[in-house]
Amino acid sequence: MNVASITIPESAEAADYPPIPEPDNLTEFFWEGVASHRLLIQHCDACDTYIHYPRPICPKCLSMDHLAPKEVSGRGTIYSHTTTVQPFHPYFVDKVPYNLIIVALEEDENVRLTSNLIDYPNDDIRIGMPVQVTFQELAPGLTLPLFKLA
Amino acid sequence: MSKRDRVAAIGVGYSTTGRRTGLTRRQLVAQASVKAMADCGITADQIDGVVLHAGVAGAEPPGLDRIDALDVAQMLGIMPISFYNSDQGGPAYIHAAISAIAAIQSGQAHTVLTVRVINQRLSSAQERDSVQGPMLVGGDSQFTMPFGSVTPIQTISALPAQRHMERYGTTEEQFGAHVVAQRANAVLNDDALMRDPLTMDDYLNSRYVSKPVRLLDCDYPVDSASAIIFTTEERARDFAKKPVFVESASLSATDILPAGFEKVVDMNHSSPYHAAELMWSRTDLKPADVDCAQLYDGFTIIVFQWLEALGFCGEGEAGPFVQSGATRLGGSLPVNTDGGACNVGRRHGANFCIESVRQLRGNESGARQVKDAEVAVWANAVGPFSGAVLMTAE
Repeated sequence: MNVASITIPESAEAADYPPIPEPDNLTEFFWEGVASHRLLIQHCDACDTYIHYPRPICPKCLSMDHLAPKEVSGRGTIYSHTTTVQPFHPYFVDKVPYNLIIVALEEDENVRLTSNLIDYPNDDIRIGMPVQVTFQELAPGLTLPLFKLA
Repeated sequence: MSKRDRVAAIGVGYSTTGRRTGLTRRQLVAQASVKAMADCGITADQIDGVVLHAGVAGAEPPGLDRIDALDVAQMLGIMPISFYNSDQGGPAYIHAAISAIAAIQSGQAHTVLTVRVINQRLSSAQERDSVQGPMLVGGDSQFTMPFGSVTPIQTISALPAQRHMERYGTTEEQFGAHVVAQRANAVLNDDALMRDPLTMDDYLNSRYVSKPVRLLDCDYPVDSASAIIFTTEERARDFAKKPVFVESASLSATDILPAGFEKVVDMNHSSPYHAAELMWSRTDLKPADVDCAQLYDGFTIIVFQWLEALGFCGEGEAGPFVQSGATRLGGSLPVNTDGGACNVGRRHGANFCIESVRQLRGNESGARQVKDAEVAVWANAVGPFSGAVLMTAE
């Protein structure tokens, strides 16, 4: 099985991988960026608007021809967070409790990334904390953009 | 809305309700519809419209290239909007009700049956254990599920609840005060499935699903259909039960960018505020005129958001408001007098329309009847899409 740059071994079990992103032609730039440790967000160069999740058209100026990936700093702040106790997918059965954070990006606070905060106690996470992206290979071939305290 | 254009609800009914009943959706719909018809003595040839929503609860199947009117509106920046339809589960019943009301007002139909049906084939644990091999996720889910954001409990409930707590000082005891009060109403309701009295200690000792959300903050998944029939004011007088009138109604979707529950611009100030503003703009009634409120309770935080959005308390003040006892039976604004979806089962808002009708008929709610109830409001969904309806006894 080959998904973008990710090759999943035939023997892989459900618990070996978190849900694996399946890029389409609109989103593959994001995951190619992640694979090379760059955080790329779709940007409308006509009206200077970041768009996430990627869309075929800019919702501000309706341009379809000036959309391009733009590298961002990877800095942001925690908009909200939760610590999940009950696992809803086999991969997370031995990961609970795990945190989930929403990051508001420095470039545009309305661009929000769902991710996890690493190397920090779940109970001490607070809204407004500054964070910085980091890239981790969670399973063979699968790299995700996670965050650490800035 | 002039008197002449008023729309009334005339008959209501539930299907058999329970977990994994083995009943098909077709059976559930048939049962609820027949009950609603029998309730007001209407016959099939007196109905000339049908609206039904049968979408599943939870995330769409992976890989499905789903798009609906909301996606189009968000994609093209057509927001906020006050009319649309959607395949989303949570707001499903408000879409049916608003469509029916609009159809009657415009003369497309004079009498419309609305139905919401849901059945839940697997428990969340069974669903989890049924995952075979690595799972691929496309669409917007590719940006959330890999990180473990896999249930609405996290996105619709835990994240906004946490933000409400840190931003306004809301406490878990305040969430608990609602859950305990709501269960006390369910104890008085023969239709409720969860009828054991609940204390604050029970709440605080119950398990977390995703902090700060506990199992008791979540609605209760069941197989069930709910049906409500609407007709014109003129026809409404001809049926068995006292008609209840739609005074004002609204539908709202507000967020252009970014899309989704986890990314509304402000998790605690989203479409319910727009829906409430629209609803109040179409009536002379005020929040102080409301005798009981039936507020969507997929999760406790949603009730808090509606109390604030509808103007029953200030923004961020739902916690102290609920803790004061105001929302209990006998308080200034009894809330979710049927026990709410946490106790009567997940009906995606339709139960709150039915409970409003029953309360305003004035003699159907037994021990939970709000005395002299003349005005009720019910609300549906939250976040990027929602709606609210104000109903009156006269």
